[in-house]
Amino acid sequence: MGYLVLGLVAGLAAVERKGFLQGMLSRPIALAPLAGWALGDAAGGLLLAPPLELFWLGAVNLGAALPVHEALGTAAITGGAVLAGRALGVPVSPEIAVLAVLVAAPVALLGRKADRLVEGWNERIALHAEAALAGHHVREAVRCNLYGLAAPFAIAAVLAPLAAAVAAAVIPLLLRAAPGAAGPLRVGFFALAGLACAAGAKALRARAAPRWFFATFAGCAVALLVLGRLR
Amino acid sequence: MSAPAPSAATAPAKVPRRSLARVFWRSLFLQASWNRRGMQNLGFAYAIDPALRALYAEPARREEALRRHLGFFNSHPYMAAAIVGGAIHHEERVASGVEPARGPLTYKQTLQGPLAAIGDGFFWTALRPFFGALAALGALLFGAAAIVVVLVAYNAVHFVFRAGLFLAGYRQGDRLVATIARLSLPVAADRLRAAGAGLCGAAAAVFLFRAGAASGPVAAALAALAAGAGYVALARGARLLPTAYVATLVGVGAAFLLGHLHGSS
Repeated sequence: MGYLVLGLVAGLAAVERKGFLQGMLSRPIALAPLAGWALGDAAGGLLLAPPLELFWLGAVNLGAALPVHEALGTAAITGGAVLAGRALGVPVSPEIAVLAVLVAAPVALLGRKADRLVEGWNERIALHAEAALAGHHVREAVRCNLYGLAAPFAIAAVLAPLAAAVAAAVIPLLLRAAPGAAGPLRVGFFALAGLACAAGAKALRARAAPRWFFATFAGCAVALLVLGRLR
Repeated sequence: MSAPAPSAATAPAKVPRRSLARVFWRSLFLQASWNRRGMQNLGFAYAIDPALRALYAEPARREEALRRHLGFFNSHPYMAAAIVGGAIHHEERVASGVEPARGPLTYKQTLQGPLAAIGDGFFWTALRPFFGALAALGALLFGAAAIVVVLVAYNAVHFVFRAGLFLAGYRQGDRLVATIARLSLPVAADRLRAAGAGLCGAAAAVFLFRAGAASGPVAAALAALAAGAGYVALARGARLLPTAYVATLVGVGAAFLLGHLHGSS
């Protein structure tokens, strides 16, 4: 049942990402908590959402260039983390989250390849629409546009649960085989989160980005340290 | 098909408000069948169809109009709302007989490139990443409620722009360009990008603090190193996913080694 729900969430996110609306609902910051909630661990999704959003902040569709499929990657990672946690009988923790990223993130690259196939498929739909108009079937020619929503939905609905299933199988095995790795993996999660922040700042492509990134990083770190000591 | 001769007795053709609302709704599906051949052509034809139905009662004229809009089209999906609105403005003039049938096409071809550049530069590389970074920092500090607030705010801005551009295109036609120029979007984009980078820095500080609280000062130092060295590596052209694996595995390995040394001393 969990895989069906995950497939549905991933499919709808893939449609929102390009075919309809594009209102940030398929961005990792929205999708990870939503997928976590749908699978019964909203807090787990919330743990993953900020680093994944910052990590893929630069995943934007500029012209004909295709970015990595961040929605598919997010759904797979969140699904894998929640289902692995369920197999271990615990909620998603930083060590489960980082392993889910390591195992399932490459599916975002696979998603980009699938997007190329979808574009080819849509070309056939375009030809079909032209033929329908030539045959005076105006309604059919117009309706063809909506046929293009099916392939992105289906691809994400299949690939996200598959990648999540791999993560959900591998992560419990690893954590049971090496229980001492939990601490270092937790540190790995924060290293990944630090890199994600850097990736986000870099993706903003502003000349002043390095200055702003490092200045606020240092300033806020000092402020938090002082606040922490005061408490 | 050439436009009928203008006649003083003919009332100007107008698209009813209901049809305009349907066109706007359908314009949200602009990229549903994005393809390399015509790019957003199917989406554009799908969006404008209710307006064409209202303007051309004669099936042959409607078909001809639809064929015009099945040609190549590609722009930014938000900014395209302005072009859809403007194309209806021109189709009304074509249907009224005061403009040749080529008018809407020329309008689309002239505006699609410049508006795509403005939309990509403002929405995709500035406004949306800014709100993404804001939501991420908000989630770290205040939880899920912050995400909801930021998403509602983003979509309020997004819909105001999209609906406003659609109406501006419809009402102003070619004068739309001056309206968009007045918005000074490139200037606003530069500020949003800088502010977004600042938000990423603040998020990095929060992660550093949490790493320290959860796993001690070594974890905090490794998170800081990943943020600093990671930025430098990415700025020098390192690929994102491999860099993420390296950063994570270095973090795990260093923590493991330090834990081992600490345990054996």
